Amino acid sequence: MALPLTYHWRNLFVRKTTTVLTVLVITSVVSVFAYMLGFSESLQHSLSVARDPHKLIVLKSGATAESNSAIPVDEYNKLSQVTNVARDEATGQVLVSPEMMVQVSLPRLRDGGRTNANVAVRGVTLDAFRIHPNIRPLGRIFSTAEREVIVGLAAAQQFAGLQIGDTINLGYGADRAYKVVGHFSADGGPMESEIWGYLPSLMNSYNRTMYSSANLRLADGSDARQIIGQIEGPAIQLAAQTEEEYWESQSRLMKVYLFVAYLLVAIMSLAAVFAIANTMFSVVAGRSRELAMLRTIGFSSAQILLGLVIEAVMLALVGGMLGCVACWAWLQAVGNTKDMFGATTFTTMAFKIQMTPLLIAKALGLVVVVGVIGALVPALRAARMQVVTALREP
Amino acid sequence: MKLALPLRLIYLYRNLTRNPLRSGLTSAAVALPIMIYVLSMAVVDGFENFLDNSARQLRLAVTQRTSIINPLPEGHRRKIEALDPEKTRLISVCGLRYIGGQRENDPMPLSTLAVDHDTFIASFPEHQLTDEEVDAWLRNKQAIMVGRGTAREMGWKVGDRITIFPSVPPYKLIEFQIVSTLENAQDFVTNWCRRDYLEEELKKYGAPSGNVTFFFVKCASREDLDHFRGAIDAQFAGSLDETRTLDEKTFMNEFVTQQFNLPRNLTILAALTVFVAVMAATNTMSMNFRDRTNEVATLKSLGFGSAFAFSLIQTESLLLCAVGGLVGASVPFVLFTYTPIRNITIPLIQTLEIAPSTCIKAVGMALLIGIVAALWPAWLAVRMKVVSALRSLE
Repeated sequence: MALPLTYHWRNLFVRKTTTVLTVLVITSVVSVFAYMLGFSESLQHSLSVARDPHKLIVLKSGATAESNSAIPVDEYNKLSQVTNVARDEATGQVLVSPEMMVQVSLPRLRDGGRTNANVAVRGVTLDAFRIHPNIRPLGRIFSTAEREVIVGLAAAQQFAGLQIGDTINLGYGADRAYKVVGHFSADGGPMESEIWGYLPSLMNSYNRTMYSSANLRLADGSDARQIIGQIEGPAIQLAAQTEEEYWESQSRLMKVYLFVAYLLVAIMSLAAVFAIANTMFSVVAGRSRELAMLRTIGFSSAQILLGLVIEAVMLALVGGMLGCVACWAWLQAVGNTKDMFGATTFTTMAFKIQMTPLLIAKALGLVVVVGVIGALVPALRAARMQVVTALREP
Repeated sequence: MKLALPLRLIYLYRNLTRNPLRSGLTSAAVALPIMIYVLSMAVVDGFENFLDNSARQLRLAVTQRTSIINPLPEGHRRKIEALDPEKTRLISVCGLRYIGGQRENDPMPLSTLAVDHDTFIASFPEHQLTDEEVDAWLRNKQAIMVGRGTAREMGWKVGDRITIFPSVPPYKLIEFQIVSTLENAQDFVTNWCRRDYLEEELKKYGAPSGNVTFFFVKCASREDLDHFRGAIDAQFAGSLDETRTLDEKTFMNEFVTQQFNLPRNLTILAALTVFVAVMAATNTMSMNFRDRTNEVATLKSLGFGSAFAFSLIQTESLLLCAVGGLVGASVPFVLFTYTPIRNITIPLIQTLEIAPSTCIKAVGMALLIGIVAALWPAWLAVRMKVVSALRSLE
């Protein structure tokens, strides 16, 4: 026979003040944890989209990002000799997308335009849509004859003036008006925070004569390392990396921040463990006669131990759920849109913090651990209690 | 009736040691949040200091109007200098060009800027260079001054010849000779080399030259700073290369908040942890009071007043939290002042300096937590009806 769960649940209401205060401690810890986890998972999700194993980004060797890379056209042309990469079926030429990366400062919508973000502007040719298959235009794309751009969904949602029909000023002197004619999805990847326009038009507007990067796709079954070797070899002398490597290095700074944040959450969780332990010690002390009684009527010490741990976990779970609700409410109140600055791109990557069921499960997992650890020592003490002595207590 | 101070202290001590486990757990549950509070506030203070230091330098940052990635022609320097030919109000104008860079075969990015060597010394007096260093800098075109943090990490010392692979054109290894490790500079990381040398290298490889990323303009007074902020932008209004001039503090602050609003997020975190500590301490004080209801009632019935009961609970809570506060403040202080942990570098503020004033503030915060935590139980003790409390004696 096990102790019924309602017995433990009701016990939480015996000492209301203590229960409420302990729950509040857990709530605070979990709300911070859920927020940090949400932040990191949304970032990871976005980066995981940019992990196409068949895509290579070619930069000028020495450049750390597209925004500080400059590839002269004659060096770019050498890429036509690369083998084992995807080719245009009609012409048999190497399929390669020359791209230019600049940025424009646009007001953030989430703070009413008080601050600006550096939004990436990418000049591309029509081949880009074959190299980046996860880019799906929603509606029409830019015309090659007019000053037109299309805007990633994340950028359109987070930065001002990017709705269809709006006009933005681009170019070196910010004096060329480009019309937003459509939006595009990139499955939530980093490119969804960008503005795309026709490469020759944008190069002209920005007085540029060089490309920033070139993108290639691997042929089926070919080895990325071998092709990177060709590109970095003496014949071409450019630098290439897989998309995954590129974005990993861009989010390096953010990972340091996240590491620190998790460390702080760990310290807070330890404080929560102490708070629960304190509460459970007092529970054990206050109910020693009752617990001894349970022993005399046949409950084993293991059952008592388990029962107290269950009680602590229930307490922690209530706090955990409230914490998730608090985090959700905070995101509703201040907005769940965030953006991250690439380590060396000088452009922002927009994403949204989502309270997914998995995230809630992880947060509740943490509180269960906190509850179990916090309850263990007091529960062991209760389980080892001398029944006769405890019964004799006043 | 009053209790003599020594007796009172003994009573207090006995109360605290009556349940040492509970006291210990409570102090720990206060110490951990205080620790986070100290760390968070140290980082926030570090950022504030960094910005205040920027403000004290009376410098303006002049960038291209639309974006910092658009370069400015170096000829702007003469036009800015012409605003005050006597150089009484506008002391010096220094053009800077971002190089970034990394060592050969080392992915670790460096922060390197090429500067106008003739005005660099006057523009950055806070570097406090020695005469030998200034002499070497002016004499040697390949001179580079390296941040002392970077020097330590890379094992560089004065006199060493080093090569850096720039992240911008000409993308060719450039050789430098170290003339200073900037022992007095606020900035630990940044390396400074001569722009005339970079220009030579750029011309050698046919890369575009004659551009700077931004200018720093050193002013004589705060009034001059305000005056030239407007005057510089007015000078270039309507030209091909319009400027955007900000004081150095605003310029740096934009950088900080662009990346990740760490100061604000840490302040929120610090506030939440203080809340956690208040809840944990309140929990203990209310448990203590509940356990000793009849004792307080007895004291009151003996003639000790409500004020005595109130102060008894308050001082006990104060002491518990003071212990937690002292431990919580001294652990990070010791760690970041006397152990190798102090060498951990943090972006922008470089090293975390935990000021004694931050620790004192934290202990003050802990005392405040103690007072707030005991308010409710102490109030209950004041309002307690002695007769009914005694009647409920078990």
